[in-house]
Amino acid sequence: MVASLLTARGLNKQFRSGNQPVSVFRNLSLQLDRGESLALTGRSGSGKSTLLNILCGLEQPDTGSVQVLDEVFEGNNTDRQTEARWANLRRQQIGVVFQEANLMPALSLLDNVRLRAGLAGQNEDDCRDWLERLRIGELAGRFPDQVSGGQRQRAALAMVFAMNPALILADEPTGSLDRHTAEDVTGQLFDLQSRHGCGLILATHDAELATRCSHHLDLGHLPET
Amino acid sequence: MTVFSALLSHYRRHPLQLLALALMIVLATMLWTGVSHLTDHARASLAQSERAIAGQQQLVREDGQALSVQDFAYLRRQGLCVMPWLEVQRPPPEGRVIGVDPFASACFGTEAPGQAGVDALNGTPFLDIAEAKAMVRQGSDGALSLLVPVDVEADAVPADYRLKDFSMGPATGELGESFLLNLDALGVLVLLITALLVRSVYQLGLVQRRESFALLGRFGVPAARVQVLLLIEMVVLTSVCVIPGIWLGRLLAEMLGGSFGQVLESLFDAPLYAVGGDGFVLPALVMVTVVLLACFADRWLLRRLPWISGRQSVLWFGVPALGLGLAMVAWPFTLGWLYVGIALVFVAVGLLTPRVLSFVAQWRAEGAGAITLWQRRELAVLFRRLALPVVALQFAVAMVLAIQALVTTFEDTFERWLGQRLEAEFYVEVPEQSAAADGVRYLAGLSGLGDWHLVQRGKTHVVPEMAGDDAATSVEVDLFSISPIGPLVTGWTLLDATPDAWEKLAAGQGVMVNEQLARRQGYQPGDPIGFVLGEQTLALPVVGVYADYGRPDGEILVAGKILPETFNTRFQSLSLNPGTLAMAEIEQGLATVWNIDQLTVRDNGSIRSLASGVFDQTFLITRAITVLTLVLAGTSLLVMGWVFFTTRARYYRLLFVWGLSRREAAGQLRWLAMCLTGAVAVAALPLGVWLTWTLVSRINPLAFGWSLPMAVYPGFWLEMLVLCLVIGLAIAVLMRRQLGAGVAAPVVANVSGGGER
Repeated sequence: MVASLLTARGLNKQFRSGNQPVSVFRNLSLQLDRGESLALTGRSGSGKSTLLNILCGLEQPDTGSVQVLDEVFEGNNTDRQTEARWANLRRQQIGVVFQEANLMPALSLLDNVRLRAGLAGQNEDDCRDWLERLRIGELAGRFPDQVSGGQRQRAALAMVFAMNPALILADEPTGSLDRHTAEDVTGQLFDLQSRHGCGLILATHDAELATRCSHHLDLGHLPET
Repeated sequence: MTVFSALLSHYRRHPLQLLALALMIVLATMLWTGVSHLTDHARASLAQSERAIAGQQQLVREDGQALSVQDFAYLRRQGLCVMPWLEVQRPPPEGRVIGVDPFASACFGTEAPGQAGVDALNGTPFLDIAEAKAMVRQGSDGALSLLVPVDVEADAVPADYRLKDFSMGPATGELGESFLLNLDALGVLVLLITALLVRSVYQLGLVQRRESFALLGRFGVPAARVQVLLLIEMVVLTSVCVIPGIWLGRLLAEMLGGSFGQVLESLFDAPLYAVGGDGFVLPALVMVTVVLLACFADRWLLRRLPWISGRQSVLWFGVPALGLGLAMVAWPFTLGWLYVGIALVFVAVGLLTPRVLSFVAQWRAEGAGAITLWQRRELAVLFRRLALPVVALQFAVAMVLAIQALVTTFEDTFERWLGQRLEAEFYVEVPEQSAAADGVRYLAGLSGLGDWHLVQRGKTHVVPEMAGDDAATSVEVDLFSISPIGPLVTGWTLLDATPDAWEKLAAGQGVMVNEQLARRQGYQPGDPIGFVLGEQTLALPVVGVYADYGRPDGEILVAGKILPETFNTRFQSLSLNPGTLAMAEIEQGLATVWNIDQLTVRDNGSIRSLASGVFDQTFLITRAITVLTLVLAGTSLLVMGWVFFTTRARYYRLLFVWGLSRREAAGQLRWLAMCLTGAVAVAALPLGVWLTWTLVSRINPLAFGWSLPMAVYPGFWLEMLVLCLVIGLAIAVLMRRQLGAGVAAPVVANVSGGGER
């Protein structure tokens, strides 16, 4: 039997607000296979970003387990070995795109892509091609503060695809873009994801965008106190 | 909410930033006030001392006994204008005071010793003699002198008394001025460094408030109004902070003052008199001005000369300024010219250093791997964005390197000078009107006596035309005669000499000259030198050049045997090691030979230990001030580095998101921070060496006509490098806490919030 790309079981996460525990989600489970996409929707503060952080090991759940490819992570485990396994996954298999600040300001767009590909052990020579495919090849030598927000997000996508990931986690990647640019960027994201057959989990407020994903999980409620 | 309170709300959200700015102003004020307070007192004391003893003479008893009130009463009854001068030494911090009798000094008229008029004698350090007497009765040490006007002739003096120059010790001369000049230079550098530090903290705050200013602009608040409010904010903050700063500076000066006073007194005979504290207004005004200039002068400058802010402009101005400054220092015409050159070099170095370091950091980085490329580019950003604290630390390290080199050279020189001049264990002054030859005969006849020689001092004139220079005029130099030439001098360091130099000197076949005379007149071993001895003019070859360790006057060393009877000896002494004999026995024998009750005998061992102790204190103070400056600059870079790294923490967290473990990401930060501070130390090194050379080889010769030898201390360079690396490590440790704090995901960032490149 072929293991799924991502499986999460019984995830629980609480924060403390003053002395009050705030439950972000309880007993949450999900599964994603290669080539599939999952839209996470819900109101601001409903836990979309927290869930994405847990799925790539940037945060730990209180209880529950996460399996990515062959690596299984149980509960709230922050020992050095676990951290190293998560770091290795993020380096080579999981591409993360945030709403902003995805690029190193001191590097050109091309050097950012090369850095990400280099960390993942991929060929740095293909990096310019990825910028070309995302239609910002002519901006390769510019720095992040010299291009528009949409162009920066395209560069962020180029970085993710240059590492050839098994899983892409995108946290409102078009949240700061105008509608036209946002459609262009997400179009490219879905196009490349389907061509590469990687998994995609997309946190978004955009219901229309959510319908383009093969699965939909609504975290709609606000956290319970 | 008013615009002002909206502006101030930044500090409500970032109280630590306000605290850092306030702390920097307080520390800067403290440091500068401390240094300037000490320097002012030192200068005032020297001047006061010179005024107090200028052109006076005193009466002493022929029998050598101490003077008493009965002597004063007797002399006044004889109709002589005599003024009592009771010097009382109180323990620090009170210092030395002088008791005078205003009524007795009336006969001096406006030439009364110490001050211009009788009324002025009431002020410190002068007080009524009755009060001084009371202090002596309470246990303080006191010494009474009886001063007489300079126009009193020897024949007007009653029997049993004689006239003697009144002096509290040897003249301060160039050494005192040199010491004060160095302290002044230190004060100016401290002020410059503190201004840079205040500016760096303020600028960082401004960067973080840029969005607030933009928001106010969008709300219709004119930029000019924001500027005025920022100015008011700084005036208020500085005015508040300088008060504790000045108070702490005074405290620092007082703490150092006790030993500093002792140093001045022992070194230059310039007591740190018990003068009262200065006002707060002047230092406060100076600091407020410096802070405002440091924070706002560039805006004024940029409005009028907008071109100066460009990268090319910095290079176009910096490089020629550096060249011009170096040339002005290398070929100085006057002291003022030299100072302008130094200022130009410092300005140029301050402008160029961050850019040069930034350029070097990313030089040929293109071919490197992606992570190396990022490291080097990030380092280049850090050099540019932390330019001010980087330059401040560079200046501070350079200053410490220079001061350390000077102080260590001075200590070493002083040790060797002591060794040269205090070679013998005891020194016996030949009394006036006694024949030195009788003493010499007595010593020559003693069995078991160690090495000894007779020293005779006087003046002579070098006659340059005898060396072939007809145009030159005669030069007066000191004549230093020794006989016999023995082991007490043959161990001296000779900078250059002919073979068998000591033998030739002992045989009267040549002379030796000191380093200053050799340098000034260009004498080398083998050159003939003509000089006047009594009524005859001799021409002998120079057989050696001996180290004089900074002695400003030219000197010729000759064997005693060539001195003619007619030579006017001004001073004679015997230097001797008692050997197997008791010194008391020798002393008694000499007193008998010379038919005198008491001899002036000096124990050179105790003098050497006292002198070394005094100099240790001097250098301790200088070092304490430089180390304080270094600590301040280091702390500033630490704080600034930490704050700036924090603004970029979101980007460093990206490394973590991209698959580096926290340990690896922290390692990258450590590398960056230590490269940053290590490079500052390396950049400070040439500046420090150049500054040392400038102080030694340019300022001192121009100001005083002599200089110490230049020496460098690579071991100390290494210490500075290690210190800078420790500062970098501290930044990295603080940053590691930042990386470990909270959620690792980046948040919204922009170019004004740490996204600079």
